[in-house]
This record gives sequence, C-alpha cells and structure tokens, in this order.
Amino acid sequence: MPRQTSGLLVALIALVAIAYTVKLYFGAGGPPASRLGGGGPAMLAGAPAQSYPTRTLRGGTDGLDRYRGHVVFVNLWASWCAPCRSETPALESLYRDDAARGLVVLGIDQGESAEAAGAFAKEMHLSYPILLDEDQQYGRAYAAVGLPTSLIVDATGHIVRGIDGEMSLAQMHEAVDPLLRTHS
Amino acid sequence: MSATVPAPSAAAAAPRAAGEGRALALASAVFGMALVFAQDVVPAWTGFHTWQYAAALALATLAVAGYAWGARTGADGDFGTRVFVAAIGAVVVMCAGIASGLLGPDTETVVRAPGTVAPLPDVGAAGFFPVADPGALVRGDAHILIRRRDGSSLEVGPGERRFVGATALETTAQIAAYVEARDAAGRRLTITQPANSAFLSPVLLFPQRVTVAGRELPADAFATPALHRQIKAFYFSKDAAASTQHGLGGKEAVLLAVDDDAGRLEPGGIGFVTSGADAPIGGVRFHVAIGTYPALVVSAVPFPPALWLGGALVLAGLAYTLLVPRPRRSITAADA
Repeated sequence: MPRQTSGLLVALIALVAIAYTVKLYFGAGGPPASRLGGGGPAMLAGAPAQSYPTRTLRGGTDGLDRYRGHVVFVNLWASWCAPCRSETPALESLYRDDAARGLVVLGIDQGESAEAAGAFAKEMHLSYPILLDEDQQYGRAYAAVGLPTSLIVDATGHIVRGIDGEMSLAQMHEAVDPLLRTHS
Repeated sequence: MSATVPAPSAAAAAPRAAGEGRALALASAVFGMALVFAQDVVPAWTGFHTWQYAAALALATLAVAGYAWGARTGADGDFGTRVFVAAIGAVVVMCAGIASGLLGPDTETVVRAPGTVAPLPDVGAAGFFPVADPGALVRGDAHILIRRRDGSSLEVGPGERRFVGATALETTAQIAAYVEARDAAGRRLTITQPANSAFLSPVLLFPQRVTVAGRELPADAFATPALHRQIKAFYFSKDAAASTQHGLGGKEAVLLAVDDDAGRLEPGGIGFVTSGADAPIGGVRFHVAIGTYPALVVSAVPFPPALWLGGALVLAGLAYTLLVPRPRRSITAADA
C-alpha cells in the first residue's frame, strides 16, 4: 500500500474513532427529563399563556386571551378535589382584595359538567369568572401534574409562575403583588 | 537485452492496476453516496447510527480518497486528473454521512398528549402538539407545529417530512382514544392519568403492551377521581375485535376494566366500548372515540450545505470529465 494511502487510512480510522467516542460520551445520559414529559407547571415560566375558547358557567364563551392587559391568576380545579375545595375561599378573598387593582382571578374547572361546577361555585359563593374546560385543554397545556394548579399570567400574556398544589392567601398575595405594583 | 527496457508483463500491469483502482473508486463512490442520500430518504432507520454504517462509509471514503490522491499526481492518466474534482465531491458527501451517523442524535419518537409542548433541543425548537377533539382523532389529520427559536415555524402533517438543518421531522400515527365518562346522572367527570406525562388528559395513547389471553394488546390506564374509579384500557384493532365472541361486529374497540380506589373490580366492571358508542361499565357511562394521533419522529440527516457542496463538486467534476473535449496533442517529430 502506498505511503499516502496508509496515512489516509490512519487519519480516517482516527477520525471515526474520535467521533464515535464523542457520541458515546455525550449520548450516554439519555434524553433530558423534560423531553420525557413531566416537569410540571413551574417549567412554563416565561412561556406565552395558551388560550382556548371555553364555555362559561354563565352560558357564554370566554378564554384567557380576553384578559390581556390584566394580571391574571389562573386556577385549575375540580369539585371532587379536596385541596381545591380548601383553597377556594382564599382565591375568593384574593379576588375581592385585588380586583380593583386590575387583578383577574379565572377559575377553570377541569372536565366536569356545568351542574357539578355550578353547584360548587354556589356552595363556595364564588364571584370570579369560571370556565368549564370539559376537554381539559388548559390542564394539558399548562402541564398540570395534579389539582389544584395555578398560574400567574402578566399583562402581556406570559406566564410568570406555575404552581402545583394548594396555596394560602398570603402566598397568593406574594405571587401577584409585585406584578400589580408594576401594572398600576 | 538492456536492463533499462521494462518487462512486457510489468508494462501491461500498470494500466490494468490503474483501471482496477478506477473501477473500485467509482463503485465505492456510488455505493457511499447512495448510503448517504438514503439518510434523507429513510432518515428514521436506526442503522445509520451503527458502527457498521460508519465503517462501510469510511472504507468507501478511503477507496475514493486514495484514488483521488493518486489521480491528482497523474497515476490514472488524463482521466484521473479530470475526475479529481468529482472524487473530492464524493468524499465530502461521504464525510457528511459519517458525521451525521456518528455525531447526530439517535432517531427519537416524541410522544405527547394533545395540547402539550415538547422541547426539541437538538433542533433548537419546540413541538406544539395540537389540541385534538374526538373528530380530529377519528380523522387522524392533526398537524404538529414546530416553532424555532428565531420565531419561524412550520407544520408537519401525516405523511409529510420536513428538514430543519441537519434534522428530519416526520410524524407517525399512533392509536389514540378520546374517553368521556359520566356518572349515573349523566354528569361529565374529570379524566386523569396519574401514571402518564399528561395528568389531565382524556386522550389515551396506549404506551404499554400487555399480553391478554395470548394476544399482545396496547394498554393504558386512567381514573375518574370524582367516583374513585381506576380504569385499565386495552385496545382491540378491527382484527382483534373480530376474533372475540362479544358481538363487536369487527369494529375497533376498547376493553375497560373498572376498579375502585383499592384495586377491587367493580360489579359489572369489565366491558367493551366500540368507537362512537356508549357503554355503562362498573357504574360509569363511557363514550370512546378511537382514531390516531401523531407522534413526532426526529432523525439526524447529513448537514445540507455539505451535501450541496459535495453534490455540486461531483456534478461539476463529471461534467468536466465527460463533456469538455480533451485538448488535442500535436504530433511532433519525437512522437513520430
């Protein structure tokens, strides 16, 4: 074999070996966890908030995008969910405290009929708007890993925080106050 | 005889060796480039990421590069000198194939629930899986939206393939069922999937395979927390449904097994639901729409600029070799 050809062969084998080593080294960890799903609503911070036209408890159609320009506290819930039931009075208080400052609280029932959601809203004396998300679109789009799930959406329609689980009134105020100060 | 006169056998062997080298290089170039371009035709084939593929391409590259090296110095006469550019082009193409096979990520199928987003870091983009109502599942025509970091976007539909840089994106249809559940009073119930990535999804994607009565079936599970029911679901294709004795009429169906929270089977808790029909099972009324929903198949392909450059060199080199007339040599007295 001519000397030049031998040199080429060695160079090529070395190239393949180096490339294969690099692939093994960087490929050993497998896909990142986020690609396998999961991660929850917290990973959505900074993302644009998805909106879907959805039936309301009062019979009309509504969607999150109608509240662009407001700070929105989105709460995904269901009447069978005990932590949702426990959290709801705080949500109502938050709405009463901060509605005048431009805060919108939007309750989005997940997968239930109007009777179940309406009975719950009546029992809990809810005054904030309730959407009936029968197809559970918001729940999927907001990567809910349980109920309740809450999202803080700023006036530009971007998610500031995603929270999994029940929140106290103090935690709710802590989450929205900085945005309301900027907003007003 | 003078020692300076070459032996007749050696004189004849030189052109024969050059001809064999040329034939080997040509065959290697055709074989290697076919392998590389196959990556754009069937990008999802996992064989492109094996050492055998890399070794085959490396050998072909070596054969062509070795020939080109010799041809550059006139080892294959005028033809070799003229075909040198085409040989370099073939080497560029094959090196792109080796790089893609070895350094490109393995083919991955990204499965997501409708309405969710999957980050695609290798593409520098995110895949938006569309919201699917029962009708969309039955039609099986959902498109996945790919949004890149620079703000541009493209859609990948059934049977389509899109190229983004050194990545091919295509969809594969997978079985899906949209489940609605109602209580005895007809009130709709929340569907949850605690074991899957999308907790609040009424769409089952059947990610598991379970053997039931000697038949391997796609399987999934969900819950209706309002009624404290845990439900296992098994998909029956038309063929599988036709082979049962349950009067399914050869329609696609889902077999549901309804347990309570403690895992005990509810009375009347096993039954079939055919697509589009209602059935009361274990105290819950189910309605199921069966169809397909796309999964995104992400595959590495050779870097397009390298393919374009290599392909252009091959075409230019071949055109020069075959179409441009060779300059005529004048006959001199010495030749005579």
